[in-house]
Amino acid sequence: MADTTPKSNGAGEPIITVRNMGKSFDDFVALRDVTLDVNRSEVLCLIGPSGSGKSTLLRCLNFLEAYDAGEVRLDGELIGWQEGVSPRKARSSGTLRKQRQHIGMVFQQFNLWPHMTALENVAEALIQVKGMGKAAACEKAQAALAKVHLSDKAQSYPANLSGGQQQRVAIARAIAMEPRVMLFDEPTSALDPELVGEVLAVMKEMAAEGMTMVVVTHEMGFAAHVADRVAFLDAGRLVTCAPPADIFAREPDDARVRSFLQTYRERNVV
Amino acid sequence: MELDLFVRYGPALIRGFGVTILCWAAGSLGGLVLGFVIACLYRWSIAPVRWVIYAYVEVIRGTPFMIQLFILYYGGPYVGLVLSPVQAGILSFIVYGSPYFSEIFRSGFNAVPKGQVEAARCVGMAEATILRRIVLPQMLVPITPPLTNFFIILTKETAILSVVTVPELLYETQTMAAETFTYVEPFLVLSLFYWLMVIGTNWLGGRVEARVTRHLKRA
Amino acid sequence: MNFSFDVIWHNLPYLLAAARWTLLISVAGMAISIVWGVFLCAARISKNRLLANVAALYISFFRGVPLLVQLLMAYYMLPYVGLDLPAIAAAILAVGLCSAAYTAEILRGALQAIPAGQTEAAHALGIPGFSLWKRILVPQAIRIGLPSLVNELILLVKVSSLASVVGIGELTRISQNITGQTYRPLEIYIAAAAIYFLINLVISGLGRLAEKRLQAG
Repeated sequence: MADTTPKSNGAGEPIITVRNMGKSFDDFVALRDVTLDVNRSEVLCLIGPSGSGKSTLLRCLNFLEAYDAGEVRLDGELIGWQEGVSPRKARSSGTLRKQRQHIGMVFQQFNLWPHMTALENVAEALIQVKGMGKAAACEKAQAALAKVHLSDKAQSYPANLSGGQQQRVAIARAIAMEPRVMLFDEPTSALDPELVGEVLAVMKEMAAEGMTMVVVTHEMGFAAHVADRVAFLDAGRLVTCAPPADIFAREPDDARVRSFLQTYRERNVV
Repeated sequence: MELDLFVRYGPALIRGFGVTILCWAAGSLGGLVLGFVIACLYRWSIAPVRWVIYAYVEVIRGTPFMIQLFILYYGGPYVGLVLSPVQAGILSFIVYGSPYFSEIFRSGFNAVPKGQVEAARCVGMAEATILRRIVLPQMLVPITPPLTNFFIILTKETAILSVVTVPELLYETQTMAAETFTYVEPFLVLSLFYWLMVIGTNWLGGRVEARVTRHLKRA
Repeated sequence: MNFSFDVIWHNLPYLLAAARWTLLISVAGMAISIVWGVFLCAARISKNRLLANVAALYISFFRGVPLLVQLLMAYYMLPYVGLDLPAIAAAILAVGLCSAAYTAEILRGALQAIPAGQTEAAHALGIPGFSLWKRILVPQAIRIGLPSLVNELILLVKVSSLASVVGIGELTRISQNITGQTYRPLEIYIAAAAIYFLINLVISGLGRLAEKRLQAG
């Protein structure tokens, strides 16, 4: 089953460190006491039942959700909150923008800007955020589109692209910014089954090139074969984080992991 | 039909049409701008300001334009606001239109999916840039039809200005009718004028709509 | 000048009496609007091309010309064609005929909002056309169109003020008359505005209640 050897040993130094992180929405505790490292060039998959807090965890990593306990650091820099200030105070919007430039994100619903062509979608942030000239930005955007094998769709509007193509443009938009980490929030969940493969293939290529990736996914095949480590969340807690071989190959120790994976086994996914 | 009447009153009618267009254009564009400001205030300000805006929107939308015009034109001088009929007409048009425009803009803000704003934040875009480059261009798609519709409604509301002797199209037509005791022809021609204005505005709105929805066309 | 509530208080009975005419014009106008609007809507979507085109032309014209102009035309021109109606009847008729054009479009929009699958399902079950309309389409169209129809009624309350121009003693006209005697336009018109606002508040409240009822039923 998990017989492919990981492309790296997953033992690089940590790039993201999450320490005792928690997040509540009013009365509902979405995440509690999460501690987790993401190593450089590692692919970490977050799995778990719906409502377990996977997406919230991902959104806390780039401060789309403001976590309210513990800390998240990227290369040692505290994300979102000002360093050493108590009570917590959010960083200035300018600093927050700088931090987010290093963290690319891909959404379930693609979130392409429908009034711009594929090329414009990718070039927009290069021009508006990085301050690049139009020509240079377009050249770089073309290169990013080439990476996701969509050079020929540069002038298409999102409405004229398939779901898989739209998601690949969204990936190009993120990688054009040359982020240190890429976050994927269920990148294939909104796709028709026959379009899932092309997106996963692009993600595999990125992993092979050494991109650090955190992926919330229901694609257990991808988790089993591409991930270096798999984290399982349940009810806002990190239950376990281990190489896929440990999670998928034998009967996992934890009952919750077992019952979660059972439903997939019944469908012959893993 | 007595053509010589129209030759005699033609210049006055054309002047009146000019005043109608002036009041309509100045009033509705002013209302559009004020409405946008109100919608932005509503979106980005504290609760008490929102309550005031809410009350303003509800009161203006819940009362007849004619009464608003009377309050401004006849009541204004009592609080030191003396306006010519045309000034009162344009100003009341701005006040009358602004809450409808602000509601259209508000729904436009809400129509832009949250995820697209998030995506822009994720690549580090500033809020002002997001408003200018992502939200506004996209808002144009859902708000163009209601905006066109409201501009059309306003073309017709200009007729009410005749009541406070703004020398616009209806006023001039009534003058003509009263002086010559002919009613049928002047009013039929008048109707045609308005109808053409409405059809023209509708056509213009259609062009704008085609322009702002270009990207949604499937190739 | 200071704002005088006394002026409002003394004239309130006259204003309220006038508001009854405002209500009469808008409610009677709405009744005509709905009945005539259903016919117009049916004509507009009928397969008979001539009928559909005539209805479309009617709707375009009545929506394209200011109601004030339509009112004046009814007032000045109906006598020409031998219809000597009292002013109030002419006003109600004009308001209703104009509003019907909007009501027809509201109903047409509501009918289009009903999923085509329902009609197909009814056909598949062999339900005859008339029952389909009476039992399935019209009740849903009214439910879907109700908020817009309530809006239309609120609009009619507001446009009934135009009837003042042809001399009908409704709220706006009486306000003008009182202002002429008291020289207190600010107080009187603000009082009139408040009455219009309250009427519309009540209508929209009733509308929401009716909506809830229909949803429950």
